[in-house]
Amino acid sequence: MLKYPGYRGFANSVSHRYFWWAAILMLIPVTAVAHNISGDNARFVEGLEGRAVIPYMYLGAKHMVTGYDHLLYLLGVVFFLQRVRDIVLYASLFTLGHSITLMGGVLLEWSVNAYLIDTIIGLSVAYKAFENMNGFKQVFGFQLNARVAVLIFGLFHGLGLATKLQDLSLSTDSLVINILSFNVGVEIGQALALMSIVVVLGLWRKKNHFHRQAFVANTVLMSLGFMLAGYQFSAYLWA
Amino acid sequence: MNTGVPESVVLQTGKRKILTATLFAVVIAAAILVIFILPAEFNKDPLGVGEALGISGLSKPAGVSAEIVRKEEGALREDGVSFQLLPFEFVEYKYQMNKGSSMLYSWTTTKARAGGSSPVSFEFHGESHEVEGYVESYSLGEGDREAATFIAPFKGVHGWFWANHGSEAVTVTLNTAGFYTETLEFRDGFVKKQILK
Repeated sequence: MLKYPGYRGFANSVSHRYFWWAAILMLIPVTAVAHNISGDNARFVEGLEGRAVIPYMYLGAKHMVTGYDHLLYLLGVVFFLQRVRDIVLYASLFTLGHSITLMGGVLLEWSVNAYLIDTIIGLSVAYKAFENMNGFKQVFGFQLNARVAVLIFGLFHGLGLATKLQDLSLSTDSLVINILSFNVGVEIGQALALMSIVVVLGLWRKKNHFHRQAFVANTVLMSLGFMLAGYQFSAYLWA
Repeated sequence: MNTGVPESVVLQTGKRKILTATLFAVVIAAAILVIFILPAEFNKDPLGVGEALGISGLSKPAGVSAEIVRKEEGALREDGVSFQLLPFEFVEYKYQMNKGSSMLYSWTTTKARAGGSSPVSFEFHGESHEVEGYVESYSLGEGDREAATFIAPFKGVHGWFWANHGSEAVTVTLNTAGFYTETLEFRDGFVKKQILK
């Protein structure tokens, strides 16, 4: 039977020197300014004719790595996951969810308001943080299965990705292969982001006071989620 | 399979603490939204804090930017004058303008007799009404032409002094368009003032 390496073992093998590298790497997405496919990237993609696997893949990865809404949600999802197996499981459920709506949304030309979708994505961050605090069980006495929740929110994140792609006037020629490339890029970006998140969390988990800090961190995460939701909903109203 | 480790650690936190944290999260999010994000991103400033912090202008469209578009109360006026200057004669011609108002100008010289241009001494300067004897020089030298955009740095009269240091008569021709209200001509010890309609 296949043995999954213990997550703690993995973290232990990483020396403290790497903690700072990982922490710095994690800060990079925070410095990203906008979260649309914009400017030169948009012009380039709109000028492409036919199949363009690598450009779309790159854009997908870039969108994920620089997308603080997706990253905050992922941080919430893996915050308390102990084993690599579970991280892979949750990431796969999230991937399944967003792939369905990304592909479906673009190909079937679903028309949804990007700002409203991004509002829900912001709320998904707050939801996950509240779930991490065990808030649903403690306050409401009921919690939606965490795996089901990550799949459902994955569907919304995928719709968000779809609206970003739909903003571009894409060439209908080779549309499927191009969206597929974008989707693969999204997964590559997600894997890269997850790796650094998981490494930093693993090192953090070994420190004293992790549990107390974890509660504060999730409070901050929830606040950021509400902020994102408020920001996007304001954009829906006034932008 | 390694089943000894639970899927996720569950924080053992009381209901009260969770609710406090949630309230805290909502209040912080709302405060940052109202104080910073709404004024900076959407030009909405319900508390007036954005104005006080100076960030409410960040999202104003460029066309409303005071730097680029400066609205004027007065009418746009055009003016064209010529002065013939004999050797060693001089003239001053100025416009009354408010601070920040602008003017486009171009002046050229022609020799009265043989045609062609001829250099004169010039000084483009402004005089304040508010500060006694305050004069600021904008452009000076010897030349036969100059064309530029001018934005008045203060309220006062702004214009040119031209002197013919050559041996032949020279005509200076000035054309302007701008938001000025009066013209003043100083020549031979007389001031000719004209309030523009």
